[in-house]
Amino acid sequence: MTSIDPAAQPAGPFDPPGVTWDRVSPRLITARLVVLALTFGLPLVACAVVAALVTPWVWIPAGVLAALLLWTVLLVPRQVRAMGYAERDDDLLIRKGILFRQLVVVPYGRMQFVDVEAGPLDRKLDIAKVQLHTAAASTDAVIPGLAPDEAERLRDRLTARGEARLAGL
Amino acid sequence: MSDSGPVPSSASRPAQSPEPPAQQQWRRVHPVTPFVRGWAVIVALLFVVAQQSFDGVPYGEIVDDLARLWWVFALGVLVVLSIVFGYAALAWRMTSYAVDDDAAHLRKGILFRQQRHARLDRLQAVDVRQPLLARIFGLAELTLEVAGGTDSAVAIGFLRLDDATELRADLLARAAGVKARRAGAGTAGTTAPAVATDDAGTATAPAADAEAEAPRGSVVAADAPDPAMLGATVPAEAPENQVYEVPPGRLVASLVRLPVVWIILAVLIAVGVGVAATRNFGILFSLLPALLGVGTFLFNRFAGEFGFRAAVSPDGIRLRHGLLETRAQTIPPGRVQAIELTQGIWWRGKDWWRIKVNVAGYGVEGTDTQSVLLPVGPRQEALTALWLVLPDLGTQDPAALVDEGLTGDARTDVSFTTSPRRARILDPLTWRRNGFVVTDRALLLRGGRLTRRLAVVPHERTQSLGLGQGPWQRRRGVASFTVHSTPGPISPAVHHLDAPDAARLIAEQAVRARTARAQQTPERWMETVAAVAAAQSDAQPDTEPDTQPDAGPTRPEGDA
Repeated sequence: MTSIDPAAQPAGPFDPPGVTWDRVSPRLITARLVVLALTFGLPLVACAVVAALVTPWVWIPAGVLAALLLWTVLLVPRQVRAMGYAERDDDLLIRKGILFRQLVVVPYGRMQFVDVEAGPLDRKLDIAKVQLHTAAASTDAVIPGLAPDEAERLRDRLTARGEARLAGL
Repeated sequence: MSDSGPVPSSASRPAQSPEPPAQQQWRRVHPVTPFVRGWAVIVALLFVVAQQSFDGVPYGEIVDDLARLWWVFALGVLVVLSIVFGYAALAWRMTSYAVDDDAAHLRKGILFRQQRHARLDRLQAVDVRQPLLARIFGLAELTLEVAGGTDSAVAIGFLRLDDATELRADLLARAAGVKARRAGAGTAGTTAPAVATDDAGTATAPAADAEAEAPRGSVVAADAPDPAMLGATVPAEAPENQVYEVPPGRLVASLVRLPVVWIILAVLIAVGVGVAATRNFGILFSLLPALLGVGTFLFNRFAGEFGFRAAVSPDGIRLRHGLLETRAQTIPPGRVQAIELTQGIWWRGKDWWRIKVNVAGYGVEGTDTQSVLLPVGPRQEALTALWLVLPDLGTQDPAALVDEGLTGDARTDVSFTTSPRRARILDPLTWRRNGFVVTDRALLLRGGRLTRRLAVVPHERTQSLGLGQGPWQRRRGVASFTVHSTPGPISPAVHHLDAPDAARLIAEQAVRARTARAQQTPERWMETVAAVAAAQSDAQPDTEPDTQPDAGPTRPEGDA
């Protein structure tokens, strides 16, 4: 039975020792803010118009929407700054979240394929999303907001490393 | 056209040629296949025709009309039958399969042709399925499961049962890479060239021509099979030893204990009292959907798990079960990705356990039928089933360890690392049960108090690892650890571990999984068989394979 080595005590569960995190591009903040503006901002404007023209009661949902918008706008930059990934010798670490923190360890040999995606907004902002897939559907390994060059470099490196460490299921 | 023997890919091919011109030999499925598959459609069509013919005609006039219009009716039936028959014949003619050393090939479809090649070294499991109607005809469908997501299986069928089992043995032998060796033992030189031949790409084109050339009725009788296919190269079905079976009595008893039965009984009694009091029988009908639902669930479970038998063979674990539709599953060694033993509180009195497994090919949709390793069994049988999959747990006293995992908690723990006491407020019921232990070969994750569960993941089967922490967990200094396994009924996880424990676990588990993958020892399987046999006879697992050196032929395990 292997016992866990107490000497390997890391600083915190989401900060393994000896890992330097690569950050995602700050342009992801802009991308997320645009999406937020569309999802909360447009209904907010609509509510405000209805409230001004028809009935003041609609100010209540408008206020709720405004609060949500403000909160998420304040949250998004911190969220994006909390995202990080690190290429270790044999696996890739991805970390995200402030309130609900998550850390995923994906061994290169377990990767089945790598997706690089960029929607119209992402292309405009010059960022791309890299997603790693293993045979497990529950593997949630997404790195959004990478510069396209970095995304391509990462994809190629991951694929190359995956081939070198190829394993079956 | 009673039988579909092998259709030679080339008419000029000499029998028992030491070097077959085409590596692939395309064969047809049984001609009855379209009817077995589409009997419901055929019945529905006939019903529609009959209904259309009589629709709107008052009953008394039918006899008169029949006298006048019988030919219309007969013609309708004839047309429908000929269309159905023509379609079936065409569908049958367009379906063929072939097996070579690297892959299994299936071609089907009339308008939309589909060719499917399944690499045998990626074979996850082979099922021989016999639906009720196919059983009447003595037919079976062979399903090759590969880990390609939904609907990725290659279903070859229907074949005669003997042919299906023969093909299964052939496929498994090829998948295990023993083709050359096993056959070579019998007939030295004949099969050697076959091993080195190229796969799919080169052989498909000539085979396609061959299918076009093949005359419609050129079906070779089954008792005169191609000697090269059946005599020299097809290995005998690997011998199997039955390890355990589930008697019907126990299955029924286990189902009766399910809470859903008690709930429905309680509701029935309540409604009975209500009816007696109010004389309103209408309430009974409102119960009907619930009764039907529960009845269907219980019947499906009973019929699906009836006569459950598990056996070991060099090809892997073999599971047979089914009342109406029978299924014989073969899971080659090393294809089980995760195992979970569960025990609801309703089975605790009997100490019965249920075991499910994650197998890559079965996925989520096969959860209820295919992923069950043991429907219900006492602890000793559950342990036997566990050794079947994981013969070596990599620890000194596996039985004690698993016992701890099954029923122990923080107060009695020897080896498990459990949630700290401060996690109690987050998980008042199960915090003592949440725990993990790492052995040399596997990770054991324990949880659940009312429904106890123990998940076992071999290190080399770890896909990726996850760590999560919510705000309350952070306040309490705990974190949840997840192992990502292939899609299936099991999602191994352990919640509310002490944060430093969780951090060390994820760091070291990543390393352990990597080393385990690097040194997967393929020969282990047959040693296992001996260990399992010993475990069964002694009612005590044998963890040292060396004590059973004469375990029979070893078969190298292919890459999963």
